[in-house]
Amino acid sequence: MDILGLSETVLRLIIGTIVVALFGIIFGLLYKGVDRKIAAHMQGRIGPPIRQPFRDIRKLFTKENVVPENAIPWIFNLVPLLGLVATISILIYLPIGGFSPIMSWGGDLILILYLLMFPSLAMIIGGFSSGSPYAIVGAQREMATMIAYEFPLAIIIISLAWKLTQVGSVNVFALSTIAGTPIWSNVTGPLGFIGFAILLLALVIVTPAELSKIPFDSPEAETEIAGGLLVEYSGRNLAMFYLTDGVKTVVMASIIVVLFFPYNLSALPLLGLEGGSYVAYAIDILFYLLKVFLVILFSVTLIRVAIARLKIDQIVYTYWVPLTLFSLVGLIFIMWDGWIMNLLGLV
Amino acid sequence: MNVPDYTIALVVAIPLLGAFLTPLVGRINDKLRNIFVILVLTLNAFLVFLLASDVLTTGIKTYVFGAQDISYPIVRILFEVDAMSIFMAIISSILVTVAVIYSWSFMKENTGLDKYYTLILLLTAGMLGMVLTGDMFNFFVFLEITSIASCALIAFWTHKGESVEAGFKYIVISAMGALFVLFAIALLYGQYNALNIALLSSVIQYTFLDKIALVLLIVALAMKAGIVPMHMWLPDSYGSAPSSISIILVSATLASLYGVFRVIFTLYGNVLSKIANFGIPVNVLIGWLIVALAVISILIGVFMALIQSDFKRLIAYGAVAELGYMFLGIGTGIVALGTAYGKTALDGGIFHVINDALDVGLLFLVAGAIYYATKETSLDKLGGLARNMKYTTVFFIIGFLAVAGMPPLNGFASKLLIYESTFQLNPILAIVAILCSILLLAVFVKVFYSAFMGPQLPKFKDVKEVPKSMLFSMGIIACIIVIFGLFPEFIINNLVEPAANALIGYSEYISQVVVGGI
Amino acid sequence: MFTVETGSGFWNPIIWVIAIVVTFLLIYILRSLGKKGYKKDTEQVKSFLSGNPEYPKEKMHIKASNLYWGFTTSLKGLYTLLRKMHTGNTSDYVLWFVIILAIFLLVEVI
Repeated sequence: MDILGLSETVLRLIIGTIVVALFGIIFGLLYKGVDRKIAAHMQGRIGPPIRQPFRDIRKLFTKENVVPENAIPWIFNLVPLLGLVATISILIYLPIGGFSPIMSWGGDLILILYLLMFPSLAMIIGGFSSGSPYAIVGAQREMATMIAYEFPLAIIIISLAWKLTQVGSVNVFALSTIAGTPIWSNVTGPLGFIGFAILLLALVIVTPAELSKIPFDSPEAETEIAGGLLVEYSGRNLAMFYLTDGVKTVVMASIIVVLFFPYNLSALPLLGLEGGSYVAYAIDILFYLLKVFLVILFSVTLIRVAIARLKIDQIVYTYWVPLTLFSLVGLIFIMWDGWIMNLLGLV
Repeated sequence: MNVPDYTIALVVAIPLLGAFLTPLVGRINDKLRNIFVILVLTLNAFLVFLLASDVLTTGIKTYVFGAQDISYPIVRILFEVDAMSIFMAIISSILVTVAVIYSWSFMKENTGLDKYYTLILLLTAGMLGMVLTGDMFNFFVFLEITSIASCALIAFWTHKGESVEAGFKYIVISAMGALFVLFAIALLYGQYNALNIALLSSVIQYTFLDKIALVLLIVALAMKAGIVPMHMWLPDSYGSAPSSISIILVSATLASLYGVFRVIFTLYGNVLSKIANFGIPVNVLIGWLIVALAVISILIGVFMALIQSDFKRLIAYGAVAELGYMFLGIGTGIVALGTAYGKTALDGGIFHVINDALDVGLLFLVAGAIYYATKETSLDKLGGLARNMKYTTVFFIIGFLAVAGMPPLNGFASKLLIYESTFQLNPILAIVAILCSILLLAVFVKVFYSAFMGPQLPKFKDVKEVPKSMLFSMGIIACIIVIFGLFPEFIINNLVEPAANALIGYSEYISQVVVGGI
Repeated sequence: MFTVETGSGFWNPIIWVIAIVVTFLLIYILRSLGKKGYKKDTEQVKSFLSGNPEYPKEKMHIKASNLYWGFTTSLKGLYTLLRKMHTGNTSDYVLWFVIILAIFLLVEVI
């Protein structure tokens, strides 16, 4: 790569990063507001206005940033920042709307799986470093939750990649490959379709734990451990965690969209749009935002209103036994898909 | 760069001679002895690097001890250095040099340091001999040197009952392993009247006795490498040895791991594609057995590490799990010999060897630093040390993130190679690998919390940061970890790929000796 | 350049680091808009314990063995088995060696 190309790439990366960072923060807060409003309506309340999260952030920025005496100050202050930064960095690998990822060749799905751990890890280390017993209990619960949901999550990701290898794709972990070959078009028979549906359902159940939402919010559990790992955080540090939560919601929903619904409206011949035109991009972005909204509605809002909080050992059990077996069934269905079809002579 | 052939001899001879000189130098002055040992090992590391640059550019190098002409039926030992050998030699040299620098302050208050340094140098000679030699019997001799020196060093803190017990367990296991290795060598020698690896490899037939020899060599060396369920000596000895020794033991076990793969890929390279039992080729059969052991290692390693409350035993179980990753990568490489993903898995496994040595080594050094500062290894009694020991905390963060394979550190690059190749063999392998990587993170987050965080405990109020020599040696490894993490592609292309090619390309190893007429 | 390619995916640390540095600066600026400082040496800095008095420091530090309670409890059966397996007895170590040797011999030779 020559110098010009290199500097162009770097410039593209820098500007792109800033754009997606702002996008993630703004829409993260917006979706949070929408989520709160809808959840309130489901519970028969009126609920806060949709712009409430923005106000919360402004309020937190005017509050004092207390560092408790039992905390390790430099870790305590640094981790909220790092958690948010790492979460935003996932966005540069994700396709957003009709735009391809800013750095489609820089990282793949395994990297995203690891980067998704960073915000949780930041909260865990932040909780541990604050030196409060409530926070420590919360942090170790968060760690246990993280171990718990990674099992089905790993199965889902590996199954998808395995299926793509079977149909002869290269770079199967790359987001551009996954978005380019929607999984529903790879199935050979109903068994594979059921398999992917099972994986989708498993991913929807993993999402609330990934985002520490009810019923998997025992790390924060306001009613028993007083906010858990966030108990000692205040002011701008708490605002960082608040933002991380918002951005992570968008990231997680985007991942589900990319893995399972990577379709674009502008590609429909019905609309007769030219690929790459501004109208096409605008429609794709709107459609993408709608998809993200639907995912959040089902996997965050609906589940958290419908189900009560689980105990931490119940969380680990839920993910490691029933859900893991469930996803393994999905994996087996996908593996047997082509085989059974061949056996029955349907292909 | 070209270096003369006798550099190979020097690399083993310098630490060996240094070992005999150390007690003499020690009589003059303690400081002089420390400087002498550090100089010897630095010089040796320098020679290893020179040799590496030569081997990596010009190919396999050989050196003959004893009779130069093959027609004389007298003793001759052949050293044959290819990219894989030199890869392992680099790991050993780095770790030993760092350990010796670390020992300067760490072992200062101990007596009997003449013996300590002598044994370290002997151990170095043994490890380097194991990885550089091209002769089976010679391999056994160096294996024994390594075992005996390690045993004495594990039990170095004789005032602690646990150390002596661990030393005893280690020597029992080593003697068992070495005995079976010797038996296997005898089986081969009896049939082919040869001890040279290349020569044996060119004539091997895969007879009934060869099969037995293969199994004995693999299992005995795998036990010395510490694979589950033959891993139980490993937490004992890693946990009770002084930390500076634990890090050397890491590279000693990796030398045994090298033995396993040298045997499979080179010694039995010619017969790997033969059809064995059940109509399955040998490589698939052996490969799947190794992969199965690897998966069990990963699982049991992390599950046991999660409930440990002793810092060093916990790291040791983590090391068992990491060992599983290497076996998983290389085992997949054996099963899928010749496919593209098999090659990637092999690359990942080999890359993970050096990454694990560095990461686990750094963690052992941190554990030693904490022991030095607080005289405590039980995690239940530690707490709040991040206030007193800032640099150590930073090194620990680098180490544990690297072991857990978090980007952008080196562990991630090698684990990525392993995940993205093993899933093509069987998705379950990659799923277990990913899951356990996260468990490993949980394991070390627990250490991070219980040793470094929490309120300031009154008994640790006056704890000071460890001396500069210890910080310096931890800093070296941390720097290498970060550099490997940021430029993994460079390391893979220049160090790992040649090593993987050397393992696969056994015919070159053979022809160097057999056709070359050495 | 600088990209590890595995045949199934890729990983470029340099790009990630650049993105992280850029985001870090951005977020750092955002964060510095917030209020700095707090009142040291007041009740503010005490740990929140729902109004209960603080225990001595040793008791405020949860022990390592007690962490991950939820995880070890839900996998109790597995851990009992694993603990039973690790006897610490040298003859058992050798027994495991013999068992593995037997398995390998069975599969490979016979």
